[in-house]
Parts: sequence; structure tokens; C-alpha cells
Amino acid sequence: MSSLNYTSKEQIKEENADALKASLKADLGRYPFEATLPELGPMVSSALHAAENLETWSSPEKPQVEAWRSGWDTTIFKAPKGTVVNISPWNFPWVLTILPLISAIATGCTCLIKPSEHAQASAALIAELIPKYLDPDAYAVCLGAVEEATYVLSLKWDHIFYTGSEKVGRIVAEAAAKQLTPVTLELGGQSPVFVDGDSTNIEIAAKRILWGKQQNAGQVCVAPNHVFVQEQYQSALVEAFRKAYDSFWPNGPLDSSSEMARVVNVHHYERNKSLLSSTKGKVAFGGQAGQDLRIEPAIVTGVTMKDPLMGEEIFGPILPIIPVADVDAAISHIQLSPTPLVIYVFTENEEIKNKFVQRTQSGQLILNETFAQVAVYEIPFGGQGESGYGSYLGKYSFDTFTHQRGYINVPADEGTEGFMQGRYPPYSAPALEFFSQALKTKIPDA
Amino acid sequence: MATTVSMIPKIRDGLRATFRSGMTRPIAWRQHQLYQLARMAQNERELICDALKKDLGKPRTEVLMAEVGSIIERAVKSAQQLPEWAKTEYPEVADWQKPWKPTLYKAPRGTVLIVSPWNYPMILSFQPLIGAIAAGCTAVLKPSELVPTFSQLLAEIVPKYLDPNTYRVVNGAVPEISKLLELQWDHIFYTGNGRVARIIASAAAKHLTPLTLELGGKSPVIIDSAYDHDLAAKRILWGKCNNAGQICVAPDYVLVQRDKQDELVRAFQKHYNAFFPEGALDSPSFGSIVSDSHHKRLTSLLSRTKGDVVLQGRADAARRRLEPTIVKNVAGGDSLLEEELFGPILPIVPVDSLDQAVDFVNARSHPLVLYAFSDKESVKQQLVSETQSGGIVFNDTFQQLAVHELPFAGVGESGYGYQVMKYTYDTFTQLRSSIDMPKEAEPYLAIRYPPHSEEAVKALTAAVYTPIPPSRQ
Repeated sequence: MSSLNYTSKEQIKEENADALKASLKADLGRYPFEATLPELGPMVSSALHAAENLETWSSPEKPQVEAWRSGWDTTIFKAPKGTVVNISPWNFPWVLTILPLISAIATGCTCLIKPSEHAQASAALIAELIPKYLDPDAYAVCLGAVEEATYVLSLKWDHIFYTGSEKVGRIVAEAAAKQLTPVTLELGGQSPVFVDGDSTNIEIAAKRILWGKQQNAGQVCVAPNHVFVQEQYQSALVEAFRKAYDSFWPNGPLDSSSEMARVVNVHHYERNKSLLSSTKGKVAFGGQAGQDLRIEPAIVTGVTMKDPLMGEEIFGPILPIIPVADVDAAISHIQLSPTPLVIYVFTENEEIKNKFVQRTQSGQLILNETFAQVAVYEIPFGGQGESGYGSYLGKYSFDTFTHQRGYINVPADEGTEGFMQGRYPPYSAPALEFFSQALKTKIPDA
Repeated sequence: MATTVSMIPKIRDGLRATFRSGMTRPIAWRQHQLYQLARMAQNERELICDALKKDLGKPRTEVLMAEVGSIIERAVKSAQQLPEWAKTEYPEVADWQKPWKPTLYKAPRGTVLIVSPWNYPMILSFQPLIGAIAAGCTAVLKPSELVPTFSQLLAEIVPKYLDPNTYRVVNGAVPEISKLLELQWDHIFYTGNGRVARIIASAAAKHLTPLTLELGGKSPVIIDSAYDHDLAAKRILWGKCNNAGQICVAPDYVLVQRDKQDELVRAFQKHYNAFFPEGALDSPSFGSIVSDSHHKRLTSLLSRTKGDVVLQGRADAARRRLEPTIVKNVAGGDSLLEEELFGPILPIVPVDSLDQAVDFVNARSHPLVLYAFSDKESVKQQLVSETQSGGIVFNDTFQQLAVHELPFAGVGESGYGYQVMKYTYDTFTQLRSSIDMPKEAEPYLAIRYPPHSEEAVKALTAAVYTPIPPSRQ
């Protein structure tokens, strides 16, 4: 049943690719490449990946057990949790709605999806296409805003999958608490970057960071939020950003020929403009606000942790550079901040890499790259601390909507019953002796 | 003796500082703490048995067999398997991603809170703690105030064996637990009931704290009419009598084919007499009810039943003793089917078919465990696919707890999150993903940067046009 629905899903994307891209252009000003690479592409490949692996993932496991229990047919069944809901955000309205739906299908759950009202064209198209391709008795779409979402959250679900803000994440967890519903919270945070000027190739670093930042005009949960660099390398880094900037947008980001998404709505457009005007740092270049809710990516130097730009997740095309004395200072700032979804580190130095592994916490730790990690289905995508809990992609998605149901079958034969005779009352000393092997476990001297 | 409320935030902050210091990272350090925990259970077992005898009237055999032994064994086994569990993993990926070195670090979640119940306080305090220690977390353990002698004992012996900067026992009741719940934790592991679980989940929501909820519910027993009812009765009664039925996985009620009900009742009576030749009231092989209010709750439920009492258990409120009581001809809506019994009362619900039994179970909340007695493959298949429960156990009760290769968890009202051995370790561990993009990859990555040529767009968006295998509904 599940694999049939996958193929339907992929069909949606292929046959309706143009309509899909149009909806993203309407909602977010996405140019075709940016509609396809991070959204349509992964939707198709995730569905196919799940269909291919479905049998393996859903097969009951037979763990190896101790000899005296080997006759009990110990099994772990992969049971669907039941009826689940996916509440998705506006920034990547297709992929973040569909990927959890894929796992619901794969695990045998039924699913309600609630796309964001802030990406209206996408939500409308989702509501139109889903019932055409998928069984409407098993998968449904709910459109609406706060009132509808609140109502959805008041019902009992077997799992709630939420992608969005910390603030609403708390509301979702609170609603789930009343029903004892397990939750996945894919939140965000201020994902920091550390550029180790001593060892890394600053040009490559700048290009990779800017590429990650400009995705969807910085409106991604894994966007590099701000950059720490050793003071002495700040200008070199700015130069490198300038070079990358010019190569991405030879005519400037606001030019009609340039590929650059826009800010989602007036509220966020004004918010970003206000951040730029109130920063105590220096806008090195970029930042000009255009028509059509587009804002040039801005590099801001000499920013401190107390700056308005550091008040919350920027979720926009502004990149603050925070000069620090050394990596320890950067790590100290990171440790005192809420746990982010990702920490990005650009370094060739093993010791520095190890410092981040040991002394920091984050959902993911990505070296010498931004964003590309989401293409790797074999590593879980999820947060830690304020950036959320639970994870998905690949098998992790499957596990999210699955309950591992333990099973044993104890034989009725005389051998087994005789073996267990001593467990029944009245408890006798010899019986206790027999069952107390564990008490006498030899504890190593360590 | 309760921990002072004002001390609680300081304790939490101290544990956080310890976590941050990196002290718990080395595997050898964690192994030592696990061995210390095993030593504590081994060396102090008589004190532990005495405390539980005092608080719960628990037979020494039950404590040693079901609690202390398991902790020693699992602490040692966890220490031995820890290097394997903690290994950084390098998942197999597609060729084009191999140069990115995809990596999974096993990162400790941080500073965690474990809240344990009164009924199996030794194992339910330390089994989660074993996982937390193994994972490299720091932890507060809050044992139940309903076992005051035991909780006080923990406050004394835990700091003697485990590092007091890393693991702390916090005692108290509502004010202390409320204070604990105001604070942020990196994980809360709660074992108990659904009402309190909602309170804890709500407090956790404010801090976006992930949870494990090990709850209970009414675990049904379905008996296939073809199965040996004598053996079934023995194995069910044994499960019911452990700790006088006060366990989350106690067989709560039995669904039996109507024409086999009396045979089942006779079997129960026979095995009861074998277990307790003088009756259970004064037997050292049978535990007491934890408190006066629970004793009253149980006798009150019994007084309201519309079923037929076939084995009348004697009650002694002063000593909080209640003998096993078996009631037949119980129907839906009966007092004995209202809530999780958590006591030595066994309602028998006659049904006319297996399908009816399945419907009866499915009309109710998902139980922690579904017990079924049958030899038929078809019955097993039907129950596995048509019901939902934390676990499903055929032809025995309770014994699944010995199988530490299985994840132990509830579903729906019976909770969520897994424990036992590696499952507990995983609960307290975060899989922190990583990649490392080589500099040399830059020429291959070049086409992703704007401005995008037609070729670049074609190459990078080819995935959309992957051929889809044909399929039909």
C-alpha cells in the first residue's frame, strides 16, 4: 500500500513541476533553480528512497538474545503509531510539508497535513493536488491559520510533527502534553559560523557561507546566522565575501536578471530593514532594500553579541561578522547562547575541530560547508535544546512515526516450565539461589 | 528528609557546570561510575531489602530477583558494551557524498532529570540512571516520597558510590518536584501515571524539554479457547501476584471464552492454593499495598463490582494487606474496568469470540502490554496486526522484563520513549550529525552558485525527472 502512494507523490511533482514552481514564485519570489534544488528534487528522491528501503525498514527485527531465552522468538515489530499530523512552515512550504508526509505513508500511518497560511499559493496547490494523487481517506490537508491550527492541536494524535519557531514550538508541546502525544519539534535558532583564518581557505569559506546564507534570502532554519572570525582576519573575510557576492550577482542582487529570493512579507521586510538601520556594526556592503520585498544580502562588520542583530534568529539576508580574539572566545559565546540547530566550522585544524565536538552542543556540526548536509539522508536532521528534538530524513523519518513493539512467545513445554518453576511462590531459598546469579555478577576492578 | 527547595536550582546549576567541564566525556570515567553503581547494589542489598520491606512489605526474594539483580547485571553489561555504543558512526552513503565524510557523533544530551515511582523503586530509579551515566549525562534522581525509607537510604548511599558532582538524589514531595519542574533539563525521564505525566509534560513544554514517559494502563490478557487454561492460569496468577499487582505490566484483566470461564476459575483456585498454602494474608511471599489510600481505593472498587467474586481475598487495612481476589462475569462498565487496578484483583470478562476480545481491547486506550495465550499462528498474526500496545507478549506474563534486548515502551496513553540497555543509552544520547566538505570539492560544487547556466540547472535538477516505477492500487 505504501509504495503505491509514493509513486503517486512523485507523480505529483513531475507532472506538476511547473505549477509547483509557480506557487513558490508567488509566495517567496523563488527562481526556478531554487524551487527545484532544495524542494522538488528532494521530494522526489525522498519518496523513491523510502519506497526502495521500505521493506528493510519495516521488517520485524529478531535481536540476538542470551541462550536461556533463545526459544522465545524475541521480535521487534515496526508498528505504525497511528494517525499523525504535520504542521509545516512557510519558508520551504513544499519540501517541509511533503517529507514528513512521505514517512507517514511509509510507516503505514494516516496523516493530516497543515501547510502554512503565509505561503498561500503553495498551500492552495497542495490542497488541490494531494487528493488527486493520494487516497483521501488516508491523507488529508487542512488549510487555515491560527484558529484552525489551534483546533488541530486540541485533538488527540499519535504523533505531532512541527517545523517552525521556538515560540510556537512551546505552544505545540503544551497542547501535546494534555494528550500525552509524542512530538517532533524542528525549530531553528541562531546557527553560528566559526572561520578559522589561520588554517582555512578564506575564499572558499566565504563562497560556501554566502551560498548558504542567500538560500531563500536567509529564511532557512539552517541558514548561517552570524560569523565569528579572529579579529586579524575580518577584513580578509569581508574581501572574500565581496568577491563571492560579485560573482553570484554581477549586476547586483536586486537586478531583474539576478537569482535572489525575496523576503516573505511586509512584516519581515520591515523587520530586516529595521535591523540594518539599528545595528551598531558597520554595513560593509549590500543591504539595499528594493521593491518587491527584495533586500540585498548585507555583510555587517564589527558586530558584538549585544547588538540588535544578535537579539534573535535573523531569518533574513543579513550576515553579521563578530570578530573574536580566538576560537576559545567564539566557543565561549556559543556556550552561553541557546543551543543552535547547526554549528558551522571552517577549519583544517584537528584540534579546533575537536574543541567544537567536545565543548559545544548543537543539532548538527558541519565542517567547511553550509546547507549541503540536508542532502545526506543517512544522517539525522534535528535539533538539540532550544533548537528542538526528534529528527528525520531517511530511516530517521521512518522511525519517527513507528513504534518499536517488543514481542516474545514463551513456550508451554515442560522444559521451560520446569526451568522457571522456582519463580512461583512460595519463594524458597534454593529458588532464590537459582535466580540470583545476577546478584553475584563479578564486577571488574575499574 | 526533603531537599531544601532553595537548594534545587543550585544543584541543577552545579550539575550543568560539571557537564560543561567535560568530566563525563571519557568512556573509562563512565564505566567506573557504572561499576560503582553495581557495587552499591551488591554491597547495600540488605539495607535496600530492609527499606523496601518497611515501606512496601515487599518480599526479599522479589527485591533481589526483580530489582537488585537486574541493576547489578545491567550496570556491568552496559559498562562492557559502552565502548561499542559510544563509537562514532560513519554511515554508508551514495558515492558522490562519500568525500563529505558523513559522521554521527554520540553526544550526551546534558543534564537530565529522572523521576521514579514507588512500586519498583530500585529498578525504576537505576535503570534510567544507568543509561544516563552511560551516555555521559549528569543527572538528578528524584525517588518517590511514598517510599520514604528507601528514598532516604538513596540520599545516603548514592553519594558514597557515585560522583556527587555528577549525580544527585533530590527528595521531597510536591514543593520539591514543582521546583524541579520549573527548571530547564535536557531530558526528563518519568515513570508513573498519566495524570502526573500530563503535569510533567506541560512543564517540559515551556522549556522545549524532550521526554520519556513510562506510564501504565490496563494491560489485558486474551486467552485463546484452545490453549491450556491450567498453564495460562498459573502464569497469569504469577504475574498478578508480583508486588501484589502493583506494577505497570501487571496482567490487569482477563478475556476468556465464555464456555471456558469456569475451567479457568478452577485453575486459578488450584494455583492460588499452591502459591499460598496458608493464604496470602500473612505469606512472606506476597507484598503489601503501598498506602492506606490505595488500600481503600482497591477495597472500594471491589465493593462496587457487579461481577461474581470466586476467590475472596481477605483484607487487613491496618497492615495494608489484601489477598488476591478473583471476580468472574465482569462486564464492560464495571467498577473493576474503570481504571488501572494496580492491585491484586483479577477481573475475568467472558467473551464469545476472539474478535470480540480484540474489539474490547481496541475500544480502550492502548495498553503498555497486551498478553495473549495461544499456540495458533493465525491468532498471533491477528493480534499483532489488529491491536496496538507498547509490547505484545504471548504465553506468559511479566517475563518480558528479563529480555533486555527488547525496547520497553508504551504507546498512546501508556507513554512514549524507550528504555533498557542500549535503548536507555540512546534515550539520553543525541545523534549529532556532521559532514566535512573537502576543499577539493569546490570544482564539483561550482555549478550550484548563481548565476545558473542552463546546463547547471539541468544537471542539478535532474532528480525531479527520475523515472518512477509503475504501480497500481
